[in-house]
Formats: sequence, structure tokens, C-alpha cells
Amino acid sequence: MSKSEFDRRDFLKVMGVSGVAATVAGCDMPSYITSEEGAEEVIPYLSPEEYVIPGVGVWYASTCLQCPAGCGIRGRVREGRVLKLEGNPTMSLNSGKLCQMGQSALQSHYNPDRLTTPLMRKDGALAEATWEDALALMEEKTGPSSGISGHRFAWYTGSVSGHQNVLLKAHLEAMGSSNHFVHEVINTRVWQAVCKEMLGQSMPTLRIDKAGLVLSFGADFLGTWMSPIQFSAQYAAFRSGDERGMLIQAEPSMSLTGANADLWVAVRPGTEGIMALGLANVLIHKERMDASVLPPETQELIARYNVSITSRITGIAGDRLIRIARHLKNRSPSLVLAGGPAAGHTTGFEAVQAAMMLNILLGNVGETIEANADFAFPQLAALGGGTTDLNRFAHAAGSGQLDALFFDGSNPLFGAPDHMNLNEKFDAIPFKVAFSTFMDETTARADVVLPIASAIEDWGTHVAAYQNEQHEIAFQQPLMEPIHPLTRSFGDLLLALNAMRSPGTYDEIDDYYGYLQSALGAIPGVLKGEDAAEDDPLDIQLWNQILQDGRLEVPAETSLFTTSVSIKDITSPPTDEAFPYYLVPTPRSSLYDGRHANLPWLQEAPDQISKVVWTSWAEIHPVTASKLGLEEGDLIRITSASGVLEVPVYIFKGIHTDVVCVPMGQGHTEYGRYAKGRGVNPLKILDPGEDTRTGELALYGTRVGLAAAGRAGRMVKMGNTESQHGRKIVATITAEQQRRNEGES
Amino acid sequence: MEAEAETCHPRPRRSLALSLWTAMMVVALILGNALLAKPSLADEIMTPRKQVPSAFSGWLDEDVGPFPGVVAPEGTYEGKDVEQPIEFPHDLHTATNKINCLYCHTYARRSAVAGIPPTSKCMGCHSIIATDRPRIKQLTEYWDKGQSPPWKKVHDLPDYVRFTHERHLKKFLFDNPDMTVERVDEVCALCHGDVTKMTVAKKQKPLTMGFCTRCHQANGGTFDCQKCHK
Repeated sequence: MSKSEFDRRDFLKVMGVSGVAATVAGCDMPSYITSEEGAEEVIPYLSPEEYVIPGVGVWYASTCLQCPAGCGIRGRVREGRVLKLEGNPTMSLNSGKLCQMGQSALQSHYNPDRLTTPLMRKDGALAEATWEDALALMEEKTGPSSGISGHRFAWYTGSVSGHQNVLLKAHLEAMGSSNHFVHEVINTRVWQAVCKEMLGQSMPTLRIDKAGLVLSFGADFLGTWMSPIQFSAQYAAFRSGDERGMLIQAEPSMSLTGANADLWVAVRPGTEGIMALGLANVLIHKERMDASVLPPETQELIARYNVSITSRITGIAGDRLIRIARHLKNRSPSLVLAGGPAAGHTTGFEAVQAAMMLNILLGNVGETIEANADFAFPQLAALGGGTTDLNRFAHAAGSGQLDALFFDGSNPLFGAPDHMNLNEKFDAIPFKVAFSTFMDETTARADVVLPIASAIEDWGTHVAAYQNEQHEIAFQQPLMEPIHPLTRSFGDLLLALNAMRSPGTYDEIDDYYGYLQSALGAIPGVLKGEDAAEDDPLDIQLWNQILQDGRLEVPAETSLFTTSVSIKDITSPPTDEAFPYYLVPTPRSSLYDGRHANLPWLQEAPDQISKVVWTSWAEIHPVTASKLGLEEGDLIRITSASGVLEVPVYIFKGIHTDVVCVPMGQGHTEYGRYAKGRGVNPLKILDPGEDTRTGELALYGTRVGLAAAGRAGRMVKMGNTESQHGRKIVATITAEQQRRNEGES
Repeated sequence: MEAEAETCHPRPRRSLALSLWTAMMVVALILGNALLAKPSLADEIMTPRKQVPSAFSGWLDEDVGPFPGVVAPEGTYEGKDVEQPIEFPHDLHTATNKINCLYCHTYARRSAVAGIPPTSKCMGCHSIIATDRPRIKQLTEYWDKGQSPPWKKVHDLPDYVRFTHERHLKKFLFDNPDMTVERVDEVCALCHGDVTKMTVAKKQKPLTMGFCTRCHQANGGTFDCQKCHK
């Protein structure tokens, strides 16, 4: 221990004496300690700003862009600075609620690692440049006189909607290109494709609040799936009704939603679809449910998966399957959902189909799954991203099909598995322009970097991919003036690019704000009367009202479902002796897909499951841990056919024994002081493989080998122990005892 | 979830030592209070210097306070002279020219902060009045450069204190039937001293928690911790 003469005893003595002195003196402590005269400057406005009263906050509505859910926000602005974000109560999508990722948008805005000036590559390195030079180079390379062939130009973005999408499309058209890659690691494309095929519409309305039971195959609807804030509100109603709704979650590793479930089932990865077929088998053959809604081939397929076969493949006990099926029948209407872990395999489409088939068999379609409408303005509708586009892009870049690439709102070089060799393919594209707020992995390899305004400083319109029965356009408006004078609005840049390619078309528009106003004015009945002439003035009061509400309601005419069931058999993953375990790279509602790793609030917020902060970890089951001789915090070596990771382990029971789960988000090699060099990125060691129907990457299909690395890692975790050491702080009994006492529920 | 096995964990001996130490701390605290010849912490906060009704409705006789409806908080403070970019004469504006405090510190009635007037407000008069005086020339120089003078803050409170001018003006002035807005300087004087006799402002009241709580006790102010420490 310490050799200092000032030992612990002395320290406590000093602390004791000074503590008493401080307490006694506290109330009339001389003010030079607590406040200072003449130390701070207090500089008044030169001229008073309209609406500004120093010290009084004003709330302005805008839209959250932290994930593609598109919730409405309100920001408290005081003396020209935005201080706090909350949910916008007038938005039907999130009705006044906001998650921690949304709250943290402030840190993205005020982040010290923001890009503040344009950069251009000179002699191999990015160097500061002027906007004039950057735009001149872009004109030289992609302007009308550049001679670039249209199809050799591409845009690469994250999910995009509203008028940004309109201008992107216009630019692509002007370039003569149709290459728009829309990349989103965490997405619901497989679910949408299944809904489209089986129900006739890709985004039906989900009513968790109307269900008596929700069976979710890995859909983390309280954390990251589709529209978590809206579903959380529905979930609260579902749990607090006259009869408390029951939640059953089947997934390979526990998600936030799984942690809330009444029954959490560890299912072997890739067998979720078979579990659904097995449940249908019990419902039809044991519970005598009418199967006539299903075609004969599907009934035959279901008949093949009796309890013992399903149990053997999925690893779930037969009596448990029977019990779940019984609950499904008795607690009608139920709702069956399927998310990332079920969809992220080569047979993902079939697995989600099997889950949807359960909804049809149980009569949930029309009850807890309601028909929705296509968005009334298709040009504004959400262009949801996926990983198919990452694959397509890797192919296009690798085969030399692209001469110029503009990218915004996406970081493909972080999200791409190593086997794609995307770094080299990306470098081979001759001219790459980044529209970025941060120096992320992809931006660092661009030839021109344009610093764009933060989401809090910019204008925009957004249409969420998932809309409930009330369709709306969400408005993004600046909550404060740009912090950095050399950043520019993305919308303004899109207008400038369009003006560059189509001279004359945008002459009458000053900026993106003006563009939005005139574009909305062109929609009949929005800012002008239904029969208004083109040059009639806008109703400014109506415009102000839209900005105040942060939203514009859009009529939605519901179309009917057209149900069809045609399910193929699901091949369960084969055993692999070299790589006996499965890697599950789950998203969490904090760092998300890695885009929030530069926000300290989210880095320091303990993970919902493991309580780990500021680093990566691997979750494994105690049985697996003892087999490998690992204790919590020891480094585990995870080896796939595509790479190796070493990361400290967190041991707990909410995971399948054949699974290792490494949450995504860390492992940045760029992206500012808070993200760089922290943890590992599980996406890097994913094996090649994609869903055969949609082309989405099989994110959950990677097989790995596990071994102890032979040394301890460094992992900071809130709460040291997970045992109550016999103190019964929270009294628990086993499920078996509960059943004996209370009977079958 | 499975029940945890009942395990017996002996309480470590260190906890005995910690208990003893805590007990000693409590004794030391009491002794410390007694030894220092000063009223105890509780007395300091809770005992008003004048026995007056403490409810808000219990307005006082005129002879108790500086103006009807208030007991002035006790305590004085010898503040230091703060050098301002322009030596602003409060006395000339308030005493000689009878300009109401709220004319310049216009936010005091609407906000937590009183606000330093925008420079445009100064220039509203001084683009024609006293333009030949050196201090006004100084001000005009700032204005012509498009800048506000970098005034120094004289009355500062710690960041963990939320004081609101609005609430205090409401109580002592606007909700006080015996006061008129013309006499607002008497309300300001409770915490800022008699500004009508100062040139640049100088701190004259301690603005400590004891100062605040004595006034709250005497005048029926809140004792909810979170009102001021939120």
C-alpha cells in the first residue's frame, strides 16, 4: 500500500475537522468564496432581439435526426442557445416523449470535434480550404463541363425523406444517374418485405396496446426496432390495462425488450422461424385451432414441425413451447413480431414470414395489425436504408463503376465487414465528397470534406418510415444560429448542386428555407387555398403555425390488406466444428450503430443489460464461461472466418449457451476524441452471407470460435456485484415455485 | 428468474470502525458548534431578527420596514470597487434625472435576471443627449464599432442558486397594494443597497444564504430547498 506518512487515519481526521468547520460556516460563508465581483463579463445585446428575454427560455419545435424513427422534438432556447431537448407533444409519433439518444443530440451539436471548415486533399492529406475552392473543384469534377458520365456518379446516404430526398433525386436526375445507395445497419427491410408480400402493404400499423399477448422474435421494440418511443407508449398501455398484457420474447441474447418480458426464451440463432412453425403446429394439432386460413402446403410444412422436432432444433423445451402456444390462443388478440435477430440470417425472410403466418393463423391481422395507407406524397416518403445497398455499393466500387461519389449521413467504412475490403474499394473511386459534421472513418478518406450544419442548426422536412394511423410531415427548423460560421446547411448545398447542374431552374429561390416555403405552397390546401393560383401569396400565419407545431398533418386513406401465405421450409444452420458459437452483434439504444459513440452522455450511460460504460464487452452464458475457464472481465478471443476480436467478458444468464454477444457501436478508428480507439467493432468480423430474398446482410449468421485470451481486460461497470448476498433486497422465487403457488397463468 | 441462494456473509470488522468514526463525527459537529461562539446553523437560518408574522398574507406595519409590507433583511457588506469599461453614473440617472430602475433593467419584472440594458437603449437617449461628455463619447465609440461595452458583473450568485428577480418584484412591488412602481428603487435597495447614491454599482449586501433565509423568514418567503437550489 501507500508509503506516504499521511495515512488514512490522518486523512479522516483532517476531513472530520474541516467538515465541521465548513458546515458551521456554511450559511454566512463570505461571498468571495461563492461569488465574485467583477470577475465575469456580462455583455448585453447591442440591440434587443425580438422574442428574447434574457433568462427566459422559449421552446421551438423541430425533428430529431438521431435515428431514422423521426420523432418530434422541442428545444429550450435561452439567449440564443439551445439548452435542452424534449419530445414534441403535438407529434402523434412520439407524443411528447424522447429517448436518451434524442436527448443527446445537444452533444452532437456542441461537440468539440465538429468539422468547422472545408477540407481538401493535398499531397495525400486533408488540408483546410475555402468553400470557393471546394465548390470549384466539385464543379470541375461533376459539373456540366466535367464530362462525367451520369451513371458513374452516385450518392451514398443514410435513410432520407422529405424535401432533402426531392432535391437528391433532382440532382441525380440532372446528373443522369440512378445510383442512390441508402445505407442503414439497423433496419426493418426484411419485415417490410414480408408485410408487403403477405399483407399487401409494407408498413402496417402495429397496436401493441390492443394486444393481450405480444410474442416477439428478437424485435427490440422498446429499444431500437422501428419506432421505439411510440411503441414504449403503447407498451405502457398494454401493461396497465384491466388485464395486464403478457410479453414473451424469444431471442439469442437478451435485449432491453427481452429484459422487460414475462417470459424470456433463449432460442438458438437462425431457428426463430422453426420455433414459429412449431408453435403453429401446437396451435393446430394440440389446441385445435382452425387452420383453414392457411394454404394446404403451409399446413403440410407446419405438420412437419411437431413439438419434439422443434424442441430439438431450437433448443427450447417442449413443454415451454406448448405453454407459449396455449398463452397465444387464450390471450387473443395477440401480436407476433420479428426483428433483427430473426431476420439477420440467410433464411431471415422465411423466419419473419413464419412469424407473420402466426399472426394470420391467430386472427391478429385486422386486430393488432391494422391496415395503413401509402404516404399521400410519395416524393416525400421515407427512403429507408438497408445493408443491401452496402453490398451493392461494395460491388460497384470494387468493379470500378464509379468516378465520383457524394456521401452524407452515413459511415459505410465503419459499418462494412472486413471481408468486403471496402477501404481499398472506396479509395479506388477517383473523386469522393463528404457532407459531414464529424471526421468519421469514411469522411477521413474523402477528397473533399464539406462541414455541414448540425441537425439543430438546419432546415428540413422529414417523413418517418413508420407512421401510425395519423400521417404527418415533421419539420426540422434551426433552434439556434450556427456555432461555426463556415458550416453550411445541407439543403442549401443541395440547392447549389442542383443549380450547378440545372442552371436557371432554382434562380428564384434564395435558400433552402425559401425552397421549403415555396414547395409547401405548391401543395394545394397547405399554405394556400385549394383553388389558389400559382402566384397567390402564401398564408404566412399558417406557415408559422406549422413551424410552431413542428408538424403538418397529411390525410391518409387506408387501403385494405390482401393476405397471402406461401412459406418455404427453413433450413436450420448446420453445426460447425471449427466455429461452434454464433456471434450476435446487437444494437443498443445508446451508441446505436456506432453513430453516437462520440457523445459522452451516451458513452457514460450504463448499458441497459450489462451496465458497462465507455467500452466494448462480450456477453456469454455462465455455462460457456466455465467451459472456457473465464471470469468476468477476462479477455475472450472471438475468431470468425473473417477476423479476430479480443474483448472483456460479461457473464450472465440472459443469453443462449451457444452465443456470444458483442454490442455494436464501439471500435472507431476515427470519429473524434470520445469515440476513437475505444472497444471493438463486431461488424468487422462478420462472415459473408445475406438473406436470399431481400439481400440484407446476415448480421446474426456469423459462426465463431471462442477461447480465453489468457489475461484480464479492462471493463468499467456500474454496480459491482449482481448478487444480493442473501440480503433479499429484491425478493425472488423460481418460475417453478411461482407455478406451484399460483397455478398456470 | 431463479431465487438467490441464501448465503451467510459475516459483517466485516471495518464496519464497526466506521460506525465509531461516524459517531465521533456527530459529537465533533455538536462540540464544534458549541465551541465557536456563534449561533448554531439552525438558529442562523430559522431565527428572524425581528419577530414578525411569517405568513405571506401577514403584511406588516409601515414602521417595521423600509417600505410598507417588508422587513428588510439584515446584513451589510463592503464590496470592492469594480472597474467598469465606462464609469456609469447610477446616481445621475436615478436620483438627478429620476429615471425608473425598470426603464433600463426592463427584464427584472419578466425574468430571473434583471438584464443589462441593450446598448441601443443607451444610444436611444445619448445619440442626442450629452454627446460631448467623455463617457458618452466612449459609449458612442463602442456603438459605432457595433459592440456593447464589456460590463463587469458585480452581483453574482453561485451556479447552484436560482434567484429570480421576477418573483421578488411581484411580491414586494406588483402584489403589494401599498407600493407604486415609482418606488421600485426601494425594492431594489433590499439586495443592491441604495443605488441612487452610487456611480458604478458596488455590492453592499452579503447575498449569502443566511441573508436570503433571514429575509425569507421575516417576510414569509419559501423554505422549500428546491425553489432556490434546483
